[in-house]
Order: sequence, then structure tokens, then C-alpha cells
Amino acid sequence: MARRIDRRDFIKTTTVAGVGLTLSFTLPGVGVRTAAALSAWEPNTQMTLTPDGLVTVHIFKAEMGQGVGTALAQIVAEELEVDWKDIRIDYPTSDPKHGLMITGGSWSVNWTFDKLSRAAVAARTMLIAAAAQQWKVPASECVAERSTVRHAPTGRFLTYGQIVDKVPIAARTWSEDDLKKLTLKKPEEYRVVGHWAARLDIPEKVNGKAKFGIDTFLPGMVYAKVAYPPTREGAKVKAVDDKAAKGVKGYVKTVVAGDLVAALGTTYEAATQARDALKVTWDNGPNAAVSTESITRDYEQKAKEDMTSPAWVEKGDVKGALGQASKTHEATYVTDYVAHAPLEPMNCVAKFEGGVADIYTGCQFQTMAMGAISKQLGIKEDKVRVHQHYLGGGFGRRLEPDAIVEAVVIAREAGKPVKLIRSREEDFKRDYFRSFTLQRLRGGLDAEGKLTAWDNTLVAAYPGERYAGLDDKGRDQFALNGADHVYDIPNQFVRAVRKETGISVGYVRAVAPNYTFFAVETFIDELAQLAKVDAVQFRLAMLKDAPRLAAVLRMVADRAEWGKPLPPNTGLGIACVTAQEKKDPTWTASAIQARVDPQSGKVTVEKVVCAVDCGIIVNPDGARSQVEGSLLFGISNALKERITIQNGQPVQSNFHDYHLLRMNEVPDVVEVHFVKSKEYPTGLGEPGTTTVAPALSNAIFAATGARVRSVPFLPDRVLAALKAKT
Amino acid sequence: MATLLINGKSHTVVAPDDTKLLWVLRERLRMTGTKFGCGMAQCGACTVHLNGDAVRSCQVTLAQAAGKKITTIEGLHPQGQHPLQVAWIAEQVPQCGYCQSGQIMQAAALLAKNPTPTDADINTAMAGNLCRCATYLRIRRAIKRAAQGV
Repeated sequence: MARRIDRRDFIKTTTVAGVGLTLSFTLPGVGVRTAAALSAWEPNTQMTLTPDGLVTVHIFKAEMGQGVGTALAQIVAEELEVDWKDIRIDYPTSDPKHGLMITGGSWSVNWTFDKLSRAAVAARTMLIAAAAQQWKVPASECVAERSTVRHAPTGRFLTYGQIVDKVPIAARTWSEDDLKKLTLKKPEEYRVVGHWAARLDIPEKVNGKAKFGIDTFLPGMVYAKVAYPPTREGAKVKAVDDKAAKGVKGYVKTVVAGDLVAALGTTYEAATQARDALKVTWDNGPNAAVSTESITRDYEQKAKEDMTSPAWVEKGDVKGALGQASKTHEATYVTDYVAHAPLEPMNCVAKFEGGVADIYTGCQFQTMAMGAISKQLGIKEDKVRVHQHYLGGGFGRRLEPDAIVEAVVIAREAGKPVKLIRSREEDFKRDYFRSFTLQRLRGGLDAEGKLTAWDNTLVAAYPGERYAGLDDKGRDQFALNGADHVYDIPNQFVRAVRKETGISVGYVRAVAPNYTFFAVETFIDELAQLAKVDAVQFRLAMLKDAPRLAAVLRMVADRAEWGKPLPPNTGLGIACVTAQEKKDPTWTASAIQARVDPQSGKVTVEKVVCAVDCGIIVNPDGARSQVEGSLLFGISNALKERITIQNGQPVQSNFHDYHLLRMNEVPDVVEVHFVKSKEYPTGLGEPGTTTVAPALSNAIFAATGARVRSVPFLPDRVLAALKAKT
Repeated sequence: MATLLINGKSHTVVAPDDTKLLWVLRERLRMTGTKFGCGMAQCGACTVHLNGDAVRSCQVTLAQAAGKKITTIEGLHPQGQHPLQVAWIAEQVPQCGYCQSGQIMQAAALLAKNPTPTDADINTAMAGNLCRCATYLRIRRAIKRAAQGV
């Protein structure tokens, strides 16, 4: 169905679709919003220049609040030498020719910085060549600056708009080698990258004009409501009786397509009433008895008994080292299911006419959506068009094509466009949660207190199956990242145990590192305690080969005044991570100061200090905004968010019983420090989140001497840990 | 059938009396700045003003709204230059933006009654508005900025 999310494939596909196959031709107003524009120049698929002097950067990434459009446009503006006021952005409709279209993993800037920079230099080179040709002067005498090409010796100039309008631009095909040979600016020469730029999407997000998927209307559309099954996975339709539904005013039609049952109405209310009036008889399937208790039992058993699952990390001889250790320690960490809960519930407007599927929604993974629809409807992928909208939150939820597929199948059956809006209750019921996990860790210290043995059994469900993302050993790297930490420990073994449960799982913001680093960084703290070594020093001693991580760790320790005495029941905890992936990490550390109420077990976060080294920062304020949000998202996850399971489905249904962080719970102080760097940029949407649970669990320990090893840190769990201590 | 006075304009709506104002605004009048988030007054994304008070439009019926002065994000200021909208841009508040209409409408009702809110006032007034991107720090700053008239 979907292609593998692989960096190599990504580069390959985008090279075919992107700058490797450079086009140079004049289009009569295609894709151009300006009425004045009669012709446009597209040096490559990433950008269009028009005679009005505007440069439109085409953003193939989903805008879900991370400001990606602005950041990518800054990269282009820098090397194309465009005056920032001339920059516009748009979000192209999906097309197989665009290659892999996915937004996630904090990958966007990391994957595109070099490619966009080179595409922009190539376009600039062509503009300079065109002007030089026009003036009959050597190109070397011409410079590009602020949307113009100037002939330095004479001061003559042509604006980009004038060149596109009147000057022939010679076609030129750039091979990958040609592109590689182009000289990019040095960071100290940047005038746009690394400088303040207001986010381009913000103005329309404060006046109600921004269009999200849910804001779509098509002529002749009707509303669809689906009758969802009583269990998350495996239920089958036995019978559908729609007699009563037919009596609902505004009823249009009943759709039964396999196990998809829906009612259509002329309004949202009519569709809802008709759906509620459907009598669907279900076979609840094999998962009807699944519960949080049964899953916990299964996971504990798996961790104890599984000796055959593949290793994720294998180094030295852990068994031997544990046997020779002078002190050993074991701890088990559990994380509950977490919901995506984007504030815009899942929805989709779909039309299927003339063999073409038109999809109107906010989508993080157009390639997967195209593949899923193609398979479902039996049409080619180029007959699917995903019309991109703003995403009212993504967080990984909008990678999944489930609502899109429902809407388009219903549209086909209905023979007219449909608008499908899930209620919040349905959004929770049909979510793909972050997996429940259980991690059992064992560590061994030698006589000098040095950590010599690290053994981890990580039990989780793998979303990778649906993404065709399992490796040849059946492992899902996105369910395991982070368990391969960078501490220099001579003997390590991490066993990757997959356990599916009948509860669908997906990738939720910060993904595996949000649970793996909770276990890793809490356990490291416990081992430091065992070794009677300061927790920062204990870490630094094992980070000789990771100087950038050591630097951010030192930075937060310094800024948070590590070691300073604090009031009773108040503690400072620390954690450092290599999220999201070890090969391209953003080096991140946080120190969290928290207060624990020993009577109620309530944890209050007073202060967060975070230090980040993500290499070159493209948009400093956007970067700060991402880290601030990711830290608070982490606090929400760590303190409040828990999905429990009963009878094969989630218990929680709306924001009254699935709690998110609110304004009155936001710490007074959130400090974010960036390391000044000239290194290649990595991502920022998620790493901050992954520091929170461990730093907070360590803070609770510092405040109370009690270890809470289950996320979220609900008051009853904190009280239980306090009781266990005494 | 009911007549609604929205942002100073009169609209005749043909819908059952118990239809929620949110769905009338969004799906019938296609004023989509007001957002659907939860349907049970837990998230605040659908906040509008009813005779100047911030209310959750997912809980207000067409019958209850008829005859009252309704203000939505589209009508908060004729040019979209309400001090809060200006401050929201200056502080670069929104991320995904979906909750921000509701946040701004809630904050506007707060400032109308309490022009110089403290942190505690802001926390109390805004605690009913969820932001999954967690832009809360900037919302706080923007409300203060608007209050100070900067």
C-alpha cells in the first residue's frame, strides 16, 4: 500500500520529481494567483516566479502549526536572493510525480534544507545568466540581490519580475552532480536563514479566514455519519436495519460497504439522527474482552518469557557483565496509551466523479492516502487528488488515511460529494493510540561505580506494519528509537518485543522516544543514585563521544542552578536525549522543577529549562515556539493523558475524561536555550517532548525520594510510590 | 425558523429550534471561523459572544440565540485589527491555529470586563480553552500586551 518511509527512497523519489529533472518553460498563468501574471517561470517544482516580481515557494509539507511553510520559504529566499516581501507560499495538490509526500518525524527542514538551497542557487544562476546575456556582459560581473540582478560595473539592473516577463531564460538541465558542485552560502553570510521572519500562516489564523479541511463545502454535497463498530479492531457487520433511519427528516441514503456502515443526510444533524436510528448487528470479534488489565498481564508475561525476539542493540557481553557486577539494579517502566487528540476532529470531504477521487482535508501523508484510495477504489494513484488544507493539529494522527478512505467510499456509493465529520467521541474511539509499553531494565555497576551492563526488554505494539515499515527482522524502528541511546556502556542488549493487542496503535508526536527515553533517562538516574554519583556527572562520564549532548546537559544544569537547595517537597530533575533518531539527532536536555503535594499526590511543574542543539536554526522564533509547545505537550502527556481499555475499546470519550494540559496548569517559567551552531539542521517538533517524562520523574524523586515508574504520573500513582517508599 | 443577528447583520435560518448555534454558523451560514472541537463545552474552540458574554456555541440552541446580539471572530473587528488580534500577531501565538478563534473570543470577553487582568485572572478566564499545540505561554503574553495597549 504505502511506500516505505526511508530516507534513501525519499531522496531518490524527490530527485526524480524535483530538481534533478529541471524544467524551464513558460506557463500561461498556471498555479499563479496573481491576475496580472501572464507568464510564469518554474525553474523546478519547488518554486514559481511571476512577472509581478513574486516568488511562490511550493510547500510539499503539511502546515500543522510547525510553521514549515515559512521556514522552507526562508531557505529558498536565502539562496535565490529574494526580498522577503516578495515571497508567497502555496501547498500543492498531491500527485505521484511529486514523489513521497509525508510530514512527520521532525524531518521537514532536515530533509529539504540542502535540496532547496541547491534548487534556489540553480534558479539564481539561470536568472543571472539571462540578465548577462541580455546585457551582453559576462555573468561573473553580475550579482543577484533583493529580487534583482545587477551588473556591478555599470549599475544596470533587472528585477526578477522583469526578467521573467521580458528576458529569455535559457533552459538548463541540472544533473545531480551539477547541483552538488554549486557553492552554498556559509552560515555567516545568511541574511534570511537564522533571522526573524513573521510566520506567513499566522495572519489568517487570527481572523477566522484560515481554511482547515473541516471548512470545505462542495456543491451538492451531503453529510455522512458512520456507525462505528463496538470494538476497535476485528468486529464484523452481521445485519443492518435502516427502517427507522428512513423516517428521519433529511435522510438521504444508507451505505453498507463491507464493514463500513453509514447514513447520509442533507445536514449534519439529519445524518447524525439517521445514523443513530440505524440498527446494526455486530459480531464483536476476537478482541471483545481486551482490557488494560489483560494487556498489562500480557506485556508483563512477554517481558518475562520472551527469549527469541530480535535485538535492537547488541554490544559486548551483558550476561557476563551483569554476573561480574558489584551492584545490580532492575526496574520496570510502563507507559499507557496516549491519544493524538488534535483539536480539529478527523474529517474529510470527498468526491468521486468520472473515475477521479478528489479529497479535501488536511493530510500528513498524501502518498499513503493515494495508495489506500487507489487500492480501495481500484483506480490509479494519478486519479487521486488530495487537496491540501491547514491541519487543525497533526501530531501523527493525520498520517492515517482512515477517515479519507471512509469518505471516498461513501461518496462513491452515494454518487455525490460527501462531508464526513467525526464527533469528538468518534475521534477518540477511532484513534490510533501511542502504544501501551512495558520496559524492563537491568543494569550493573562495577566496583568503581561505572555502568558496565545495560539490559532492556522493550515490549510494544508496532504501527509499522500498516506503513510497510518493518525491517527484515520484523522490527519497527519508529517503535524503538531512543532505546539505542548514546551512553558509552561496554555491554548492552536491548530486546525488541512486539506484542499486538487488538487496540490499533499509531505514531503520536515524539513517537517512541517519548517512552524509550522515559525509561532510559529515569533508569540512568536510578543507577546514578545506586552509584552515589551526581546524576549530571554520572551522565557526563558516559558522553565523551557525544560532546554536543554533554554541552546541552551542562547548559541546563547551569541555567537551572543544579544542586541548589530547594523548598520541601520540591525537586529538580534532569534528562538528556538524542531524539528523534540517533543518526540525525537534535541534542536536547531539560531540567524540570516540580512540587509534589504529599497529601494528594498532585504534581505541579514550576519551571522548565530546556537546551537544544539542532544545528542551524532557520526561523528562530518559530523554533522557540516549537520547543515551547513540545515541552508543554510533554507535560500534558506525562501528567494527565491516559487511555484505558475495556471490552476491546477505549473508555475515554471526550475532554471531560481525557485530560489535556490547560492554561491554569502551565508553569510560570519555561526557558528555552539554543546552542549557536553551523552544523546541518535537524528537527524541532518533537525532541523537547521526549525530555519531559524522565526529567519530571527524576524531579519527583528528588522532591520525595519516591520513584514513579508509570506514565502518566497520576496522583494515585504518586501516592502509591510515596507509600511504597516508607 | 429564526432570525439571528450576527456581527450586525440579520440572517434568517430555516432549521429546527434545537439546532446548535455552532452548526448553524458553520454548516448553514458557512461562517467557518468558529470551530467545532468537542461538542460538550470542554474545549472552547466554538466560543462566540452572545450579548457580549463568551459562550460555547455548541451548547446554545437556535431558539436561545434568536434575537440576541451574536459576535463571531469574523465580526470581532471590522478590519481584523482588534487589539488582541494585533497582539496575537506580534507575539506569533498560533501554531496549528484551530483553537485560536475561540481563544481570542474568550480573551476579548475577559478584557471587556477586566482591562488589566493578572496572571491569575488570565488562568481562570482561559482555563476552558484547550490548545493542543500548547501555545499557552504566548496566549498569556498576547493578552497582557493587548491589555497594555502595546
